[in-house]
Amino acid sequence: MKKRSLANIIFLFLMLYLLLPIVATMLYAFSSKWHKSIFPEGLTFKWLATLFQDTAFMQAFGRSVLLAGGAVIIALIVIVPAIFVIVLYFPKYEKWIQVAVVMVYSFPGIILAVGLIRVYSTIGVPMILVVLGAYVIGILPYIYQGTRNSLRNVDARQLLDAAQLLGATKTQAFTKILLPTVYPGLFAGALLSFSVLFGEFVLINLVVGSRFETVQIYLMKKLSTSGHIASAVVFIYIVLMGLLTFAIAILTKRSKGATNL
Amino acid sequence: MSYIVIEGLHKKYDQTTVLSNINMTIEKGQLITLLGPSGCGKSTILRIIAGLTNATAGEIQLEGQNMNGVQPKERQVGMVFQSYALFPNMTVKENIAFGLRMQKVNNTELEQRVQEMLHIVHLTEKANAYPKELSGGQQQRVALARALIVRPKVLLLDEPLSALDAQIRKKLQTDLRAIQRKLGMTMILVTHDQDEAMAVSDKIFVMSNGQIAQYGTPTEIYTNPQSEFIANFIGHYNVIPRQVLETMIGEKLPGDNNKFAIRPEALHLEMMEGDLCLRGVATQSLMSGNIIRTTLEGDCMFTMEQLHQRGHKLELGKNYNCYVAKEDVIALS
Repeated sequence: MKKRSLANIIFLFLMLYLLLPIVATMLYAFSSKWHKSIFPEGLTFKWLATLFQDTAFMQAFGRSVLLAGGAVIIALIVIVPAIFVIVLYFPKYEKWIQVAVVMVYSFPGIILAVGLIRVYSTIGVPMILVVLGAYVIGILPYIYQGTRNSLRNVDARQLLDAAQLLGATKTQAFTKILLPTVYPGLFAGALLSFSVLFGEFVLINLVVGSRFETVQIYLMKKLSTSGHIASAVVFIYIVLMGLLTFAIAILTKRSKGATNL
Repeated sequence: MSYIVIEGLHKKYDQTTVLSNINMTIEKGQLITLLGPSGCGKSTILRIIAGLTNATAGEIQLEGQNMNGVQPKERQVGMVFQSYALFPNMTVKENIAFGLRMQKVNNTELEQRVQEMLHIVHLTEKANAYPKELSGGQQQRVALARALIVRPKVLLLDEPLSALDAQIRKKLQTDLRAIQRKLGMTMILVTHDQDEAMAVSDKIFVMSNGQIAQYGTPTEIYTNPQSEFIANFIGHYNVIPRQVLETMIGEKLPGDNNKFAIRPEALHLEMMEGDLCLRGVATQSLMSGNIIRTTLEGDCMFTMEQLHQRGHKLELGKNYNCYVAKEDVIALS
């Protein structure tokens, strides 16, 4: 009984430690004034409204969506078919994808940024495209795991064989059978990748900086000018990430449900 | 000319030979079985017939047409897989209709043929269920219906019943044979279960190490095994070396074969004229339903099978004379 109470107390402190800064930041985004009291002295939507009226923020938001979304779409078009082909037809090469996945995790952002600047800044490639390319590679682990786990749940090769023997072309078998079967896992991987890239700061700040101002760079600027506005940015970010996490959770559950074949 | 002709089929993976000089002829409307232990190459033959795997050498003809180089979807060959391979994103009805949709059959005909097939496999009330909502037996019936509905020239069945429990398997064996006879469909069944092969086949090809070890009707294979492998694989034959058997029966046997096979159920306790006698001590008795299988130890160990009836149980530790007709002692090559 004592042990349980102790565990509950530790859990409570841990939750307070984790949630307090988030709750405080979110409250700060809605407080009209909060200087000399424990709780805000008044609530307002002023900061949120100001933020949405700020063209710079809307543009930064658009850039973030464009960059993260673009990288995810390119990854889906380029990486997913490659993973399918390797897993289904050349399984012996799959270990090389796994090596690439580990390498992505093992490179710190700062090293990657310095490397990219040194290699690409002198050859005339727009640095934003370099960041985009790095993002596409950077989300390989999420896309790979999402696709691989979905493929593991079904005998994909046999589904393709069955569809072809029933008169489907390889493309029809892929689009009508395999893609709908692995879709939940794939989409969860894509959403996860998007949320990771949307919050990415190190690479975009070091390689491109304010020449391509994303939400994260905008947030950093606002930190020194207005705490309320910065808190409002964090609020929007948290709401967006919350929605994405919720969608991923639902899709993952649906994907697991499909394994009981 | 036979409906399906397979000539000189070879398959190699790197340096490993999987199939070696396979020759087969199959008549229209027959259900033939490729029987053999795991890894003997029987599923590879099916995949080559379906066009899912290329042969290293050899030729397959279907209705006189050479199949080499023909795409799987053009071969008009159906296949039922061991793991069913049902499309998880589609209902039973959609699964069955898939082949017809690929053939662009009009909706009226499609609906009629799907309903007909649902009726044949007794799944009309499950038409809107998803594969994960069905039992193993039901899933296998959907797989069968999906393959049959496109009216293939030949239906390939790759161990379709092996994942099911014994009772359902027996029921589906009967259903499968009934459907095959009703539709007059040519089928090639792959199995490692000799009882299943015996129960459903017109002809059995027994395979070993990528080669056809023997073929014939179930009765021919069972009553006249040509090698020790067949004798051991197809039943519980007693395989006894010539010298040991001659010592046991006290007389010389004709021919120069080194080994002989005796079916356990060919042994009996009552002596009849001209019978040979094998003497042994009963050491073990196993009952499997209607059969009592007794192991006896004499100059060699042998088993005798009797119907599970009063007076047929042998007393352990006691000496018995077991008799066998001369024509039931089969010389192995």
